[in-house]
Amino acid sequence: MNKASSKSKGVVIEPQETRSSEASGDLLRLLVENIKEYAITILDPEGMVTSWSPSAEKIKGYKADEIVGKHFSAFHTPEDVASGKPERELAAAAKDGRYEDETWRVRKDGTRFWANVILTALRDKKGNLLGYGKVTRDLTERKRAEEQIRQQSREILEMATVPVVQVWEGIVLVPLIGVLDSERSQQLMEKLLERITATSSPVALVDITGVPTIDTKTAQHLVETIKAVRFVGADVVLTGVRPAIAQTLVHLGIDLSNVTTRSSLAAGLRVAFGMLHLCVSAESAD
Amino acid sequence: MNLLDEGSVAIVEETDIVTVRQTVREAAGQIGLGVTDVTRVVTAASELARNVFKYGNGGSMTWKLLESEFAKGIELTFQDKGPGIPDIEQALQDGFSTGGGLGMGLPGAKKLMDEMSVDSSPQIGTRVVVRKWRSI
Amino acid sequence: MHRETITVIKVRGVLMVTMPADPDDATISALQEKTLEAMEEYEARGLILDLSRVDTLDSYFARTVTETGKMVNLMGGQTIIAGMRPAVAITATQLGLNLAFIRTALGVDQALDLMSEEHPV
Ligand SMILES: Nc1ncnc2c1ncn2[C@@H]1O[C@H](COP(=O)(O)OP(=O)(O)OP(=O)(O)O)[C@@H](O)[C@H]1O
Ligand SMILES: [Mg+2]
Repeated sequence: MNKASSKSKGVVIEPQETRSSEASGDLLRLLVENIKEYAITILDPEGMVTSWSPSAEKIKGYKADEIVGKHFSAFHTPEDVASGKPERELAAAAKDGRYEDETWRVRKDGTRFWANVILTALRDKKGNLLGYGKVTRDLTERKRAEEQIRQQSREILEMATVPVVQVWEGIVLVPLIGVLDSERSQQLMEKLLERITATSSPVALVDITGVPTIDTKTAQHLVETIKAVRFVGADVVLTGVRPAIAQTLVHLGIDLSNVTTRSSLAAGLRVAFGMLHLCVSAESAD
Repeated sequence: MNLLDEGSVAIVEETDIVTVRQTVREAAGQIGLGVTDVTRVVTAASELARNVFKYGNGGSMTWKLLESEFAKGIELTFQDKGPGIPDIEQALQDGFSTGGGLGMGLPGAKKLMDEMSVDSSPQIGTRVVVRKWRSI
Repeated sequence: MHRETITVIKVRGVLMVTMPADPDDATISALQEKTLEAMEEYEARGLILDLSRVDTLDSYFARTVTETGKMVNLMGGQTIIAGMRPAVAITATQLGLNLAFIRTALGVDQALDLMSEEHPV
């Protein structure tokens, strides 16, 4: 990168008389004063505030006479100031002409807001740095909404991947759906064991009706899960073992001989009741 | 890769194995690992520290907390000046033990951690390095 | 010294042994000694090993537990491990520990129930 090109980056300010009339200057001032959502600030080359829009007062809480002449690091968090971020931002804007960031900023009263910040280097025709234009937008509301949505979708996703429910006093059920990769089986184990101990349930029904195929890895995950359930002191009843799955398990040489298995969830539930010594009505008994 | 924190524990007496476990538990918690992962790391550390004490005539455990752009991690180095392991591959097999153990320490530690490397020679002794990562 | 105490009590003819959270090797080997002695002394019909406080179960600890269980069986009693924490159970399976021949229960209460069902006084 040569010097000329780096100098030419940024906004070039042309002498007023060659470009704009008095009228358009007024219009620009009116525009700046009436924009509410954007705080518009002009900084000198060192980062001192030289001009302050009414919207900036509204968003950041400082009146013009309180902030003009102060360094713009007043808007940064103490962590950012300590790490030298304000200086880095100016340097980046000077080098590339423009610097944009989404980050936490601080109001006069010390409260934080989530801000979109655009710093633009202002240069004269010869490329000399005159200062910086700074446009700040308060995006706290948007940020909050995003966080909420993210949190909700995380919860939904977790529910969808390993839903563990207590179906009866002493019985928890996990209906597994889809492919059981190692990350999911990890989640499964943690959640299942947690539910078992939290609800003091001696029986866990693991229903694999919704699992399309089983390979060696999946089977091993299942065996591991069953073992871990035993360690905490509960028993697994594996249900939904369809003919195709039973064939695969035997062909893979997976030993489930000491695990109670049933082809249907209903049959498994009956076994579970039996383990808890609950009476099952005559019609539904095995 | 940034180094966030580090420390070490001498393994001289049998009770130092407990100190290793406690130190590792605290360190692993600092990078935000969940309770199951912390238990994995502490259990692996317990196995490796006991090997240092039992077979390596004592030595040390050094811990490091690491941070990269995408992950935080804990690295544990177990170093002794003992006789070394003649056949590392064999020692890593499930059930192999020369000390009447279950032969589960080395292979188990490998399964519980994300990374493990073993260096050993009669001259310098044995060094085992293990790592566990948490994506951020 | 880290030496922690193992609590041994007798309830309904059953020996109940509570392990501390993070016992050193000497404490763990004392477990076997102490338990077998107490089994004989109290003529207990079974042993409940309460692991609910234990936060690390490595191969040394696990080996002592299974060995003790087998010895108690030989002496005519039954052994039940109670209250293993989820994180410990997951780690133990992954480590490759095998607690076959030993029964497990969610907690001491359930273990006592199991004992009375199968070996009524
Ligand atoms: N630091 C070491 N120095 C020398 N030899 C070692 C060292 N660590 C392990 N070994 C050798 O490797 C073998 C396997 O170790 P591993 O920890 O897997 O099993 P173990 O210690 O024998 O039994 P366990 O850990 O299950 O009680 C040991 O028996 C020993 O011969
Ligand atoms: Mg070992």
